[in-house]
Amino acid sequence: MAISLPMQLTVNGRLHRVAEPQGTLLDLLRDDLALTGTKLVCDRGECGACTVLVDGRTAYACLTLAAACDGTTVTTVEGLGGVDGSMNDLQQAFITHDAAQCGFCTPGQLIAAHDLLARHAAPSESEIVAAMSGNLCRCGTYPKIVRAIQAVAAARHEPSATSATPGVPRGA
Amino acid sequence: MARKAKPKAGGFVPTTVEVEGRTETRIVEVPAFEPAPWTTDTPLHIVGTRAPRMDAHEKVNGRARYTADITRPGMLHAVMVRAQTARGHIAQFDASAARALPGVYDIMGPGDAPAKTRLFGTEIFYHGQPVAAVCADTLANAERAARAIAIGYNDLPFAAIFDDAAAPDAPLVKPGGNFAPQSPVIIERGDITAGLAAADIVITREFCTPVQLHSALEPHGACAEWEGDRLTVWESTQGIFRTRGDVARALDVPQSKVRVIKDYMGGGFGAKNGAGPHTYVAALFAKRMNRAVRCLNDREAEQVDSGNRPATVQRVTIGAKKNGTLTVIQLSADVPLGISGWEGGPAQIYHELYACPNVRSEERFAYINASGMQAFRGPGYVEGAFGLEGAMNALATALRMDPLALRRKNFTKKDPRQGRPYSGNALLACYTEGAERFGWHTPRAPQSGRVRRGVGLAAQVWPTGGGPPSYAHVRINADASVDVLAGTQDLGTGARTVLSQIAAEAIGAKLAHVRAIIGDTEHLPYAGNSWGSMTTPSVGPAVRMAAMDAQSQLFQAAAAMLDTTPDMLDARDSRITVRDTDRSMTFADVCKRLGNVMIYGKGSRGPNPANTAINTFGVQFAEVEVHLDTGIVKVLRIVAAHDAGRIINPTLAESQLEGGILQGMGYALTEERILDRRSGMVMNPSLHDYKIPTMADVPQIDAFFVAGADAAANHTGARGIAEPPVIPTAPAIAAAVADAIGAEVFQIPLTPWRVLASVPARR
Repeated sequence: MAISLPMQLTVNGRLHRVAEPQGTLLDLLRDDLALTGTKLVCDRGECGACTVLVDGRTAYACLTLAAACDGTTVTTVEGLGGVDGSMNDLQQAFITHDAAQCGFCTPGQLIAAHDLLARHAAPSESEIVAAMSGNLCRCGTYPKIVRAIQAVAAARHEPSATSATPGVPRGA
Repeated sequence: MARKAKPKAGGFVPTTVEVEGRTETRIVEVPAFEPAPWTTDTPLHIVGTRAPRMDAHEKVNGRARYTADITRPGMLHAVMVRAQTARGHIAQFDASAARALPGVYDIMGPGDAPAKTRLFGTEIFYHGQPVAAVCADTLANAERAARAIAIGYNDLPFAAIFDDAAAPDAPLVKPGGNFAPQSPVIIERGDITAGLAAADIVITREFCTPVQLHSALEPHGACAEWEGDRLTVWESTQGIFRTRGDVARALDVPQSKVRVIKDYMGGGFGAKNGAGPHTYVAALFAKRMNRAVRCLNDREAEQVDSGNRPATVQRVTIGAKKNGTLTVIQLSADVPLGISGWEGGPAQIYHELYACPNVRSEERFAYINASGMQAFRGPGYVEGAFGLEGAMNALATALRMDPLALRRKNFTKKDPRQGRPYSGNALLACYTEGAERFGWHTPRAPQSGRVRRGVGLAAQVWPTGGGPPSYAHVRINADASVDVLAGTQDLGTGARTVLSQIAAEAIGAKLAHVRAIIGDTEHLPYAGNSWGSMTTPSVGPAVRMAAMDAQSQLFQAAAAMLDTTPDMLDARDSRITVRDTDRSMTFADVCKRLGNVMIYGKGSRGPNPANTAINTFGVQFAEVEVHLDTGIVKVLRIVAAHDAGRIINPTLAESQLEGGILQGMGYALTEERILDRRSGMVMNPSLHDYKIPTMADVPQIDAFFVAGADAAANHTGARGIAEPPVIPTAPAIAAAVADAIGAEVFQIPLTPWRVLASVPARR
């Protein structure tokens, strides 16, 4: 890939010019653009916490060289909702279904789920699990994440159904 | 709001607090008043509801700031240099090449740190021990310089496993000897010989459990900044005040000049209970360079040197009458702690879960040349449950008795150690409801083929009373919004939400008007560490009392405005009504007329009830599928029934149960630190080689609570819940695997090769 300097890339809809891209896309996002929602956990593509979208495809920002992102469009967790902090339906469903405990893996989970739903409007549970099993969560929030994704898929499919209605958890 | 008069208010009394199995006596002051307890029948409107997690917005839009996200103007980065030998002395240390590299500001090596930090001595006790640190303008420059430091070691013999440390000719693991000062720890009741003689059946088994790594996704880390002689530390910690105490002591600074802030936190699980080497390194470099400095563990350091659940070997002898009545339980356990740690061994649960007159445990705690243990969710009880419940299941088989019936038979109505009554105990209801939802008594079809199913169960007890000291303030702002101030912390557990719900309930405000402000030693009243499942039962009552105090002041002001007396007022949804009338005012109306009058309520956690055992109980049932040719275990479902008294927020509490179960499942099947005996090195210090559960491993989980408020535990009726669910999962899964393969299993994790080795030859 030819690298031209300075490079530029679009992050969450805003164009950025980078004079000297050094390190990874994760460094660029967190250190230069102050987009700290994307997290560093393993630094070697094992955990999914740094998952972002590059030109609409998921990428581990910790394994992606910043210089390789010239001319790309990047979406991070900060770009899922509005600049004002408003949320999309997926983010809202994560809240409704308590799909974030400590929240450290959540940005990567959201991006992976966003990508899944963009590719499969109505994923089965096994498709959800297959798509999401590269995103680790130590708090064990997985069951709630599955529920949140299912709720969004159902609501998008059937707009009258609302993803804001949690299923009554067992033991209620 | 009813109150009991407390004539001795203001005095100090001793009270008993159980922290992770350790009983402490503390001197605490008696609160100004003791609120009447919220009983099961008390009508509550906000407590007990499934309110969304109050900090979830920030977590899903990327705006939640964790310690690793803190940046300060001019901030520098520090990295640790770690020992490349398991035991020895530093013979040569040359940082000259590193100092000459671009961006390097400072290096600390042997002898450069104050003695009380215990950092950077010349003697090496384990592979990965911090021996030096580098401070540079960027993380990359710091890491480059760290690699450029030349260190030579004179190696010494070492012991990396228990047997090597305990051998007669063992090398000295560290000065002071190879066994912990209290070792062996012997706890005994009754008469073991008599118990053995009284038994119709006696079985003996040996169980092994692995070293489990906390693996919180956010690493240990700190950012430190000095302003004159005042130090601010942002730290990912379960205890802001304990961290403040550690830093003040290590750096010889008064506590009033150290401020510790923890806002969001990416998990702790027991490993983040105070300041660590990263904290001291950040603070020391910050002082030396007069710049803010951030120091974070990288993933390898986090897996190698940030705490662990120690391994155990448990030799269990257990005997019973033909009808299942236990007559004797005997445990002999070996626990390698690492280079440091406390005596959090497996014995406690052997003494607490069942009625048995004769119980003896002997635990040996050895130091080994490996990173030290730290508390890990349910410390000791998780390890112990695997041995005790494994032995109970083997006993049930030997007795040809249903393992659930065996547990019922040995249910204890009183704390079996001290004979104290329980504040509440619904374990029998857990057995009944759990068995029903699992279908435990449903006959199963005979198994054939190469994939076999099996079922198993295990029970749990854990001390969850919490206790003083713990304080809270509640203030009502001029616009009637409510601040809850408490020096506690939310690890991802939901403490912010739970405390807000308690305050909103007690003051009669809308939950949306209430905000919990936590995690800052400079502005908040003291609360203890978030460990031992203690935050809700410790801080919750203090918050409720502070909210009641604030409400009382608000009522006094409102009574004059409403032409009545305070005792005629009620509050709900931020509206004050005069009882039996249609007169009312909103909180906002009252506050508007008060202007900037500050209503400020204070609360504290009162003493624990005397002579009372406060525990959380539960049972878990597991169904697994085992492939007899590959040894691969798939957990199909877990049913978990727990009794934790009142549940403040069922959704968040169920998240705790699910999370505990999944950590327990990892412990049962995949999680094991591999330490090479010959080099002392951790061989799997990554999230690829150390396997925590993924979404693909998740079974169907039906986790729920039985019982209602425990008004005898504290006046909110809530006990702790964070740790109990991780305790019985592994033994329940192991029992299910044993059932599936038709042979007992004695060692976790149940990796495919261990399972294969256990499958009977003709199976």
